[in-house]
Amino acid sequence: MTPRRRAVLLVLPALVPVAAVVGAALVSAVLLSLGLTPLVGRPELSLDAWRAAAGDLGTATRLSLGIAAASTVLAAAVGLALALAATAAVRRSRLLGALAALTIPVPHLVGAAAMGLLLADTGVLARWLGVSPDAWPSLVGGPWWVAVVAEYAWKESAFVALVVGGVLASRARSYGETAALLGAGRWARFRFVTLPLAAPALGGASAVTFVYTLGSYEVAALLGRPYPEPLPVMAVRLAGSIDLAVRPQAAAVAVTTAVLALAVVLLALRALRRLSAWH
Amino acid sequence: MALGTRLGRAALAVWLLLPLVPLVLWAAADRWTAPAVLPQAWGTAGLRDAVDSGAGTASLRSTVLGLVVAALATPLGAMAGRALAGSGVPAGGAVLAALLSPLVLPPFAVALGLDVLLLRLRVPASVGVVLLLTVAALPYTTVLMRTAYAAHDPGFEEEARTLGATARRAVLAVQLPMLAPALAGAAFLAFLVGWSDYVVTLLVGGGQLVTLPLLVASAASSVGNEAQVAVLSLGSVLPPLALLVAVGLLGRRR
Repeated sequence: MTPRRRAVLLVLPALVPVAAVVGAALVSAVLLSLGLTPLVGRPELSLDAWRAAAGDLGTATRLSLGIAAASTVLAAAVGLALALAATAAVRRSRLLGALAALTIPVPHLVGAAAMGLLLADTGVLARWLGVSPDAWPSLVGGPWWVAVVAEYAWKESAFVALVVGGVLASRARSYGETAALLGAGRWARFRFVTLPLAAPALGGASAVTFVYTLGSYEVAALLGRPYPEPLPVMAVRLAGSIDLAVRPQAAAVAVTTAVLALAVVLLALRALRRLSAWH
Repeated sequence: MALGTRLGRAALAVWLLLPLVPLVLWAAADRWTAPAVLPQAWGTAGLRDAVDSGAGTASLRSTVLGLVVAALATPLGAMAGRALAGSGVPAGGAVLAALLSPLVLPPFAVALGLDVLLLRLRVPASVGVVLLLTVAALPYTTVLMRTAYAAHDPGFEEEARTLGATARRAVLAVQLPMLAPALAGAAFLAFLVGWSDYVVTLLVGGGQLVTLPLLVASAASSVGNEAQVAVLSLGSVLPPLALLVAVGLLGRRR
């Protein structure tokens, strides 16, 4: 057997199920959204589902992008701070590194349940601060999606810290020491050594966070409000409806989210390539 | 250490720990009415409610789901990772991109798209869930094993072959033991995908496969059962956490 043939045989058992599932799911969703494979009635090419969903689809897209952007910015900022503390040359914080690592296996669903117990109007924080439920701002199910963004920012900051910390631990210390010997102050070392070294990892982790948040269902479903809905919540609600005729609309929402996620990844890859070419 | 740094680090520790504190307090609370700062009565009412809601069978189902996903995604990812660590795969970049695509596509979108198809093909719900979750876990196992194989020195296996070992024995007795830590890491990640999945089980499982996350979600979406929510949540966090710590300690001793 040639090495090439062997390599192909080794990769196929993983590639075939992935390609089949992803390909079939996308094709099936597109066909369903275009009315070509209806659950009831005659197949007919139409944009009815897209037209019916259009209004809410725009609102949901804006809302989803907003939640993802706010969560990503917070997660990136806190995650970078955590990574810096966990890999600092002087007085490195092992505790913060360990706490961040232990946050990683907590499922988002559990994070959402925990945030609910913490931030709801009868939640633990309101009790600790001695604020009555009536006076407590509606963080859970409120107009600003505070609890939802807080959950994503919390979980994903640990992820950002782990990715950026890994890069900084292996590379930044020696460069930082050299710069310090050459007379660079703390700010100069951060601005000209640490940040450029961390930037590609920080950008990559932020892109992963954004795409994950965009497509994640359970946190917004638990901690959000009934209307308006982000894309995943809208899709799952339509898909679970007793009215089978709205199934194509659910497919249209799913296709929209998938296309958005793909576009974000392609944009991020282009930006990251420029970022690493710039070094 | 400067005061500012110390305060900043304390704030970061609070940020990471604070969301978990209500889980611990509520899990041990029998009665905790506002505005009390701590529970008025401690006890195991939450645990009892959780067990009554079927937490035992549900966590067994979650464990089995995690193990099946790990058993499928780890060897497949290891094989693909090994091939992709070399240069033998035609269009290797495109193949890797295809294997990573489940990370990009929202799980609910894949589940919704495939759901109808699986129903039409009369694929049993649990088989559909395992298939989708294995595909969701493959990016992690592939990338991890690709990195491990890229750093692995094939000289040891060549040595074993020169000494008369068959190709099969060289893999089993030399290559796999050397890659055991990476394989354990990949299996852990794949297990987590199955253990903690919610949306795929919800959409494709069609309500037949009640796993621990489904119980957490149904308890958390109603009010007045905080203790039960906390116990179920801790129940889905502690086993993987214990596994992680155990694997970390074992790895350090080697």
